Amino acid sequence: MSNKKQIEKIVKMLAELKDTSELMMDLAYSSILLNNRELAEEVEELEEHIDELHTEFELLVLSSGFKQEESKNFLGLIRIGVVTEKIADAAAEIAEVVLRQLEPHPVLKLVIEEAEETVLRIQVSENSPLVNKTMREAKIPEKTGMWILAIRRGNRWIRPKPQTRIYKGDILIASGYAEGEEDLKQLATGKIANKHRSFSLFKPN
Amino acid sequence: MSDFEKIEYKPRSVREILIEMKDISELMIDLAYSAALFNDRELAEEVLELESRVDTLAYQLNMSTMIATRDPEDAQGLVGVLKVASSADKISDAAADIATIVLRDIGVHPLVSEVFKKVEEGLVKARVNANSILAGKRLDELELASKIGVDIIAIRRRKEWIIDPKGKETIEKGDILIARGSHSGVEELKKLAEGTLQKLEEE
Repeated sequence: MSNKKQIEKIVKMLAELKDTSELMMDLAYSSILLNNRELAEEVEELEEHIDELHTEFELLVLSSGFKQEESKNFLGLIRIGVVTEKIADAAAEIAEVVLRQLEPHPVLKLVIEEAEETVLRIQVSENSPLVNKTMREAKIPEKTGMWILAIRRGNRWIRPKPQTRIYKGDILIASGYAEGEEDLKQLATGKIANKHRSFSLFKPN
Repeated sequence: MSDFEKIEYKPRSVREILIEMKDISELMIDLAYSAALFNDRELAEEVLELESRVDTLAYQLNMSTMIATRDPEDAQGLVGVLKVASSADKISDAAADIATIVLRDIGVHPLVSEVFKKVEEGLVKARVNANSILAGKRLDELELASKIGVDIIAIRRRKEWIIDPKGKETIEKGDILIARGSHSGVEELKKLAEGTLQKLEEE
């Protein structure tokens, strides 16, 4: 093996590519189902980011000084990288549909109507009880009926996982029923409405 | 190349087809990465099967959209639907590309799958032992998704793969489960399947 550290770096980057491409897919589908331009714009922005990342990744793989007998394995890595790129492109295409259309066609509207949801983008303030909690601890869906699609931290996008920690200044992108919007706003700004609603949770796949 | 089936028009709503395409293409990605991670050729073949299902759906969606188009206004509005369908199709093609890496023995460095397992904690493969509490239970009884945040995306039973098992599916001893979820969730599932954990620990 050329160098274990190098490999770890490659894999970490691959994981970021994979994560970002899947995040884009989630956001793109949400943007079309909710007919939300803001989400679609986020996807377009991520597309630029992932292009850079992908180039960086390929250069890293190619410069890792692998032996001839390892070339197949490294080809596998390059190919997976290409797959993430393809997924990202497809997601960007979906987002483009949203950005081009002013008024969705009745057929798409039917899809949208099914989900009577809104999208909210809100910054976590210093006083928010969410600060320093993991997604699991924060129990946002239980408290507000809103589902966190993505977290923006500085210029990074994070696809939330149960162990992802929320920091002050994070921007949460959430979707859910309109009634939950106010609850999430209060939660994120620190003016807590601490009622536990029994929502039937929807979970976007 | 194998023979291609003729795809017939079926009266289904655009919405229904679109949602099915979206669900399958997303599922395919997880299955394809699982196939690469666990170097499982048969799982990779399942991914290719799903790919042809998505192809069929794409054709059907195109036909339903054509029938729904009556005037230029419709055409303007519906072109977006076709675009989305073609994107979903591309996503499923991308997943199939991963499956092909596995099937053609191109391989992913063994060290990579080690490190990948560490970075990407969401996918797990676990065998159900005879003393596991999962054995003999239906998926909808277990409610793994809501209780431990884990979603079983495929079950290997004897020589068959059951893809995207439904709630009425009963887990049998000897089954191999492929699941996705949070790190702690999939760890718990592993222990439950091994039988070292005898009770669902809800969060």
